[in-house]
Amino acid sequence: MKPRIAAIGICAALLVLSLCGGLTAAEKAVLLKNGQVITVSGGPIPGGDILVQGTKIVKVGKGLSAPPGAEVIDLGGRWVMPGIIDSHSHIALEGDVNETGALLTPEVDCKDVINPQDINIFYALTGGVTAVHTMHGSANPIGGKGISLKMRWGKGPEELVFAGAPLTSKWALGENPKRSNMSGMGPSRYPRTRMGVEESIRDEFEKAREYMKKWAEYEKTAKAARDSKGKVPTPLPPKKDYRLEGITDILNGKLWVRCHGYQSEEMLSIMRLCKEYGVKLVCFEHGLESYRITNELVEYGVAVSTFADFWGYKWEAYNTMPQAAALCAKRGVLVALSSDDAERMRHLFNDAAKTVRFGGVTEDAAVRMLTINPAKIMGVDRWVGTIEPGKDADLAVFNRHPLDPFTVCEMTMVDGKVYFDRAKYLEERKKAEEEEKKKEPEKKDGGEV
Amino acid sequence: MPHRTRFRPLLFSLSFIFLVSLSLRSEQDLHRVWAVKDARIITLAGPPIEKGNLVIRDGLIEAVGASIPIPKDAEVIDGAKLTVYPGLMDGLGQSLLKLPEEKTDMTRIYSGEFTDKDRGITPGLAAFDHVNLGKAAFEKYHKLGFVAGHVMPDRGVFTGRSALFSFSDPDKNKALLLKDVCLGIGFSPSNFLVYPNSLMGVHAYLKQALNDAVYFDQATSRWLKEMKGLTRPDHSPNLEALAGYATAAKPVIFLCRNQNDIRRSLSLAAELKLDYFIADLGGESFEVIPELKKAKTRVLCTVAFKAPGSSLYAQQGKAEKERAEKEIYPKNPARLAEAGIPFAFSSLGTDDPKAFAEGIQKAIDAGLPKEKALEALTKTPAAFFGLDRALGTIEPGKIANLVLVEGELLAKETKVRFAFADGGRFELKEAKPGEGEKPTVNLTGKWEMTIEGGMAMKLTVDFAQEEAALSGKMTTPFGMFEFTGGSVSGKDFSFEMNVSVGGQDIDLFFSGSVEGDRMTGSVVQGGAGTAEFTARRIPG
Repeated sequence: MKPRIAAIGICAALLVLSLCGGLTAAEKAVLLKNGQVITVSGGPIPGGDILVQGTKIVKVGKGLSAPPGAEVIDLGGRWVMPGIIDSHSHIALEGDVNETGALLTPEVDCKDVINPQDINIFYALTGGVTAVHTMHGSANPIGGKGISLKMRWGKGPEELVFAGAPLTSKWALGENPKRSNMSGMGPSRYPRTRMGVEESIRDEFEKAREYMKKWAEYEKTAKAARDSKGKVPTPLPPKKDYRLEGITDILNGKLWVRCHGYQSEEMLSIMRLCKEYGVKLVCFEHGLESYRITNELVEYGVAVSTFADFWGYKWEAYNTMPQAAALCAKRGVLVALSSDDAERMRHLFNDAAKTVRFGGVTEDAAVRMLTINPAKIMGVDRWVGTIEPGKDADLAVFNRHPLDPFTVCEMTMVDGKVYFDRAKYLEERKKAEEEEKKKEPEKKDGGEV
Repeated sequence: MPHRTRFRPLLFSLSFIFLVSLSLRSEQDLHRVWAVKDARIITLAGPPIEKGNLVIRDGLIEAVGASIPIPKDAEVIDGAKLTVYPGLMDGLGQSLLKLPEEKTDMTRIYSGEFTDKDRGITPGLAAFDHVNLGKAAFEKYHKLGFVAGHVMPDRGVFTGRSALFSFSDPDKNKALLLKDVCLGIGFSPSNFLVYPNSLMGVHAYLKQALNDAVYFDQATSRWLKEMKGLTRPDHSPNLEALAGYATAAKPVIFLCRNQNDIRRSLSLAAELKLDYFIADLGGESFEVIPELKKAKTRVLCTVAFKAPGSSLYAQQGKAEKERAEKEIYPKNPARLAEAGIPFAFSSLGTDDPKAFAEGIQKAIDAGLPKEKALEALTKTPAAFFGLDRALGTIEPGKIANLVLVEGELLAKETKVRFAFADGGRFELKEAKPGEGEKPTVNLTGKWEMTIEGGMAMKLTVDFAQEEAALSGKMTTPFGMFEFTGGSVSGKDFSFEMNVSVGGQDIDLFFSGSVEGDRMTGSVVQGGAGTAEFTARRIPG
């Protein structure tokens, strides 16, 4: 019976929310009053208020008054922080997240397989997560394109997309693209070494340069043909190659590169390659050995999206420690804590607390690893990541400080709209349970007649 | 003398086939003129004729009306107790196909020697080449009022090309209505190391391949026109097969497993400018009605009413999934009708004509008006595939594909008395109600089963048969599963089973027949296609 009740609860919560949404005029105001506001952009504001107009935060401070017709939510001294942003996720995608049938697959696009019915979108909200960057897996040196989504549970695939967020290209180094841990899963595939992984990327870059050249030549002859007014025959254009166009987008900086890697030497090596080709390498994913190369990461401006204390699950993931994220942050590397997992996603705030406990970073720095830092990595820091006027009203409310081990996320707001309200959800669920109970004896009677 | 002994069996079987085909054809050949007298006629071209006559000559409807004279050369059927309907058409199915046995040889694939077929890329695979028409199959359909069907291979990415047949003659050359009508596009990638092997990979592949086909078409025709100064493009059978569909000269059919597949198909079709149909295998087109309306989409609507694994219901456990399958999915056709979205019924996902008819009945029970259901089986599919001048209604000059029923056609107990296909008459005997054929075999005991093809595996089945009722236990690599509610009729059996693999519920429908200690048959897995199986009794 439980799933049924949960289902009714979720559906009821959706219904309530959609009704609220229906009433929401585009510019409806909401005043969140009397909260411990963790702004991230400035210091914390105890007993602070946040005024939301439509989808945006318009005022943050103390003693704000509600405009006429505004909805007032009394936070009663609870904590409110910017919605958590998970910069490494694979949720809300349908089918396999790895296209392993070819070595380099930049033509593959997560946008094509967004699954708005994935219940993990709802679960994300229960952990205060309001946006994720969901991506291709790490089976290929260059995998598919990734996409940033907002957790607008109940909306269609297009409406989940975080508008304005740059598209990304997922790369991977080391054991996964080498298929080191995949023996018996099919024919062995080039490359089998870390050197080979890098070389496969370089090869494709060269092919893409040739491809771009062909198109440039075509444009020239086509122009000549147009200018000749029929004397020179119009040339046939080169055949469109989606894979090489993906690489071209990488070389042109249109796609932001998110590179999975563990070992410091191959991270260094790929940074050199990206420098040589002018590729926009934004972030290393996991990067467990990043703490060894902080100078180079800072110099090249590459961030790290990592775990607090998750390691040892394979050979290349041993050389790290729970202080690693903190060490990187202290040396000036942009660090985000991410989940790579639909379960861990729901308590990323615990991971941030661990970097305070083990690594000694400030609470503010730890919260940044969940908010503005991943927002910068995803290129969405203009819109989210802090609580300040002009930003999207993506907020998470906690009963205790979010870094407190016993904290619980109680409410999550995306674009000024409450998408998750724990109290309401539990109430609906209780009601559904009671109704179910009422029904059961009736059924029994019916059955016996 | 050795010659003769060798040839005798061959000669015998040839003459046997000749005799059989002669006996099936004879009725149609001898009587090319029929008249149905004093029947109620639902023409669908106008209001029903309460008491009228209908004349069939040389395969076509010659005349229909309240006071049509009966020609002297006609054999007369007394229609006083009968209603005449246009013959029903299955908008899309695959059960009449007998595709060559597929044995996936993993050693070959592991050595990197895979073929396009292994990748699910078979745009050249034509339903016409592999259709398996016959009297037994026809009878199953005729009994329920079906006299035509649209057949298409449904496995892989480019699944193959469809064909439309009248269920009139075992000779496919005579039964054929249209050939290579549509190209199937599926979203079920191969599950081994070939490209594409993910859903996202399939989408990328489709864009490239369809784009390549348009390019191939342009490059080829340009070379044929100019020749001088142009490099000749390489030939490619796959691109040649795709070209007509990629350039929208002919329609494709997207085989959609859920609402997401439908949305994706709409955007693919818009991006690549394709002419298309949506085959809604998951029964979730009601979730995307505004999008379907906006795109003026034509839907081929299945009636299996199984909630796809991606649905919110399935993600919340079996109870919730079953509730949705009972209360929500059967309303899909009614909702499409209400929204005015043109749809035809498709038998995909239902294993045989009977289950198809039951599914249609479920849709009617869930609120689909009967006249809409009838349209979705006659006029609409005829119009979809460009056959509205030949089929779909009862009008002079159209093909005589008709059914003569006692009472209503779309009823729980349909009593079809005669079916006409291409003007040929098929008489259907009344089955005694509630009595199937008595079992002539007993399956009780342990069997070792081998499933072939994509989902190849070995299983052990422990059957328990009591008269016609069949239940049992199946031991699979994923655990043991039980089933009840199966049935045995003659030497044929069928049962349905729900297995849970990696958190996903999968419904499997097994049907086959027993010959001593051997059985052969097929297993249908929702929208994922069909596989053949064999089994042998484990002695003791």
